[in-house]
Amino acid sequence: MNPQAKLISATSLFLGTSITISSNHWMMAWIGLEINTLAVLPLISKSHHPRAIEASTKYFLTQAAASTLLLFSSMTNAWFSGQWDITQLTHPMSCMLLTTAISIKLGLVPFHFWFPEVLQGSTMTTCLLLATVMKFPPITLFFLTSPSLNPTLLSLMAIASAALGGWMGLNQTQTRKVLAFSSIAHLGWMTIILIYNPNLTLTAFYLYTMTTSAIFFILNTTNTLKLSTMMTAWTKIPPLTTVFMLTLLSLAGLPPLTGFLPKWLIIQELTKQGLTIMATTITLLSLLGLFFYLRLAYCATITLPPNFINYTKQWQINKPTNILTTTLTTLSILLLPLSPMVFTVS
Amino acid sequence: MDFPLILNISMFLTLLILSSPILLPLLSKNYQNSPTTIMRTVKTSFMASLIPMILSIYSNMENTTFYWEWKFITNFKIPFSLKMDQYSLMFFPIALFVTWSILQFAVWYMASEPYTTKFSLFLLIFLIAMLILIIANNMFLLFIGWEGVGIMSFLLIGWWHGRAEANTAALQAVLYNRIGDIGLILCMAWLASSMNTWEIQQHSSTNQTPLLPLMGLILAATGKSAQFGLHPWLPAAMEGPTPVSALLHSSTMVVAGIFLLIRTHHMLCNNQIALTTCLCMGALSTLFAATCALTQNDIKKIIAFSTSSQLGLMMVTIGLNLPQLAFLHISTHAFFKAMLFLCSGSIIHSLNGEQDLRKMGGLQKLLPTTTSCLTIGNLALMGTPFLAGFYSKDLIIENLNMSYLNTWALLLTLIATSFTATYSLRMALLVQTNYTRIPSITPINENNPAITNPITRLALGSIMAGLLITSYIPPTKTPPMTMPLATKTTAIIITTLGIILALELSKLTHTLTTPKQNVALNFSNTLGYFNPLMHRLSSTKLLNNGQNIASHLIDLSWYKKMGPEGLATLQLKASKISTTLHTGLIKTYLGSFALSILTIILFTQN
Repeated sequence: MNPQAKLISATSLFLGTSITISSNHWMMAWIGLEINTLAVLPLISKSHHPRAIEASTKYFLTQAAASTLLLFSSMTNAWFSGQWDITQLTHPMSCMLLTTAISIKLGLVPFHFWFPEVLQGSTMTTCLLLATVMKFPPITLFFLTSPSLNPTLLSLMAIASAALGGWMGLNQTQTRKVLAFSSIAHLGWMTIILIYNPNLTLTAFYLYTMTTSAIFFILNTTNTLKLSTMMTAWTKIPPLTTVFMLTLLSLAGLPPLTGFLPKWLIIQELTKQGLTIMATTITLLSLLGLFFYLRLAYCATITLPPNFINYTKQWQINKPTNILTTTLTTLSILLLPLSPMVFTVS
Repeated sequence: MDFPLILNISMFLTLLILSSPILLPLLSKNYQNSPTTIMRTVKTSFMASLIPMILSIYSNMENTTFYWEWKFITNFKIPFSLKMDQYSLMFFPIALFVTWSILQFAVWYMASEPYTTKFSLFLLIFLIAMLILIIANNMFLLFIGWEGVGIMSFLLIGWWHGRAEANTAALQAVLYNRIGDIGLILCMAWLASSMNTWEIQQHSSTNQTPLLPLMGLILAATGKSAQFGLHPWLPAAMEGPTPVSALLHSSTMVVAGIFLLIRTHHMLCNNQIALTTCLCMGALSTLFAATCALTQNDIKKIIAFSTSSQLGLMMVTIGLNLPQLAFLHISTHAFFKAMLFLCSGSIIHSLNGEQDLRKMGGLQKLLPTTTSCLTIGNLALMGTPFLAGFYSKDLIIENLNMSYLNTWALLLTLIATSFTATYSLRMALLVQTNYTRIPSITPINENNPAITNPITRLALGSIMAGLLITSYIPPTKTPPMTMPLATKTTAIIITTLGIILALELSKLTHTLTTPKQNVALNFSNTLGYFNPLMHRLSSTKLLNNGQNIASHLIDLSWYKKMGPEGLATLQLKASKISTTLHTGLIKTYLGSFALSILTIILFTQN
């Protein structure tokens, strides 16, 4: 891609995110979201592959619809309450529409259909952007409007996301789609605790971002787009696959890895609020995710041909790992003992 | 004359003499048992047991109880309570007399066996257990005696334990008796919980006893006395040696069930349902057994079925509310049934082990004493006037005719009586008359006094016992005195009809007609198809059910369908359904978004 075009796109991406995060007025939020949408479109379609073009089209359509809904809800609220403040969203219809708009933006069930296909159509680094950076502004808007949202609707969508993310992820062989559904499931976890403790939503989001970024970087380094490719990924950089397995288990939420922290805190908060059935349900549904994470880990690490290990590694490395991968993987495996720090920072 | 004292002492003397072959060898090494010494012990014991019987009759005594508590530990006192009334005091001499004769016979019969001493000892232990049962005043001792006779029956039927059929028969006896024991234990538990006692005299007889313990007692009697339903063990028990069949399965053990009902009669007498059950079941048993006996070819089996039939008759008498008459029939039946068995034993040994009727014949000239006693026994069984069987059987049939009870039971009993005559005559004719069908060289010999003395002694008893007992023991319930002539002579007429029928049928043997398949004959010969149906069907059903439950229910349904594999299948199904929903068509997606938004808005508008 043209370097200048890439520069403009990247800069616009950061600009849009910053505008939305720091906004007080609904107009500014909407502007930021629209800039984000438009900026990321060339990034998705940069390879000019038909699949990529299709992905970018789908992305545009859904995000545009979502932004419209967001604008509509803020206008309705302005009509009825006379102010455009994000935290003062009071009209019930507006809250509802906002919830749906943000759900479309995030990819919560039943508005998730676009997400796997968009991820499948883009390159690994763009996937990373879509899965982490593009989620940040909508999560922020959720955080800001959390007191006025409908708990039933959010809980329903959350549990459905966890369920569908689990069930769909079971049937995938493309790694990007697997990560898409894992993202949907984790969004379910983030959404379920939004009403009761929004800080936990942010904590969960940050830790999820960290772990997913690590995964995406590893997949980018070894260039594994399918499960079958993953079976020979260990030949490229053997230690990386070991770390990959641990990072996957952290994503699954296994103690004593980092990914356990958000799940643990969310379950605790839900139980404190008396929603034990919901806590049990969402925990059981995340077992489905554990299964396909284990399958990925199995394909990456446990399958070995009966050859001598020293003679089967590739003698040249195409894409060496960068420092970011290392940092992120280390953090995503070993951060649990520092959990009080995580809690106070977020 | 202090009658109670002498009575008690002589009773203890009897029991002590009887248990001396068991106790004395423990004391000194010099004392060794042998079959002859055991026989003499029983003979002495018989003499001693005559004293209490005569004393009780002479002094018009109703009942003497002896009670001793074994204070095991403070709160656990084991009660030994003996009841000496007309039943137990009358039964002692009869049982001892019969056992004496059988033991004398067994000295000859089991002479070629190893372990004859053990055999005689087993019979002795059996006798002691039976007498404990008879003399018991509480259910505890009765149960001890009950189980004792059951165990000894098992050991004795399986005496030739190398033979598979003997083992099966012994096991069958134990199993069927066990089913009856459930009833007895049920009754004991009910007594312990409701009346707080196992003493028979403390059971209230005026109130209506509920049906549950009575049904338990009737079940116990059904098991022990081989009534219909729990009857197959009695013909199978013929696998044991003939002395065993003579003692256990004709005179003593099988009457234990009836004796239980006699002892607990005060509980039964007010409950009409229990009495009717006894009546109908007894009638059914007697007819069924008599029907089966008609076509049997084994001499011992015929006598076994005849025992079964007479037991049914005793049950009918209990159902008629006449325990004393049932006891009279027990007493007279002991004599001629034991004698019939001993005669058959003599015949079997003389013919070198031949038990099939079709291979006997013309033995009247070859074994005169045995066959004469066989004829006497058969006549007594049929109820020939003024022999032993007549006094009890005729009275029973008169009472049956003059009572207000079940016509069906009456009919069945009468038919069974005529069948009794038929099969008895068939057996007598086939054994004694016509040209002989035995092999050429047979060790026919009855010159041994060990054979003839017991048989003639029992023949004497078969003739005189009925007269003696009825002369000295007055009836407690008035028998019917006046009745029409036809009713009075019913038993005789029916018996005569049976004899005529048998004689007519025996003419068929002269004509050499080829035998045809006959449904009735098949039914009778295979014992009513009861054995294969019950023995195979119930066990296969039970085992199949068990296998189904274990493998299908637990393995298949819990583990495969509902447990781990079921869960996996469910998730797989959900996964497949959701994958097909993700079609990839953006229009569908946007449409679903719109629909979802609409639904959400509609549902949250309140």
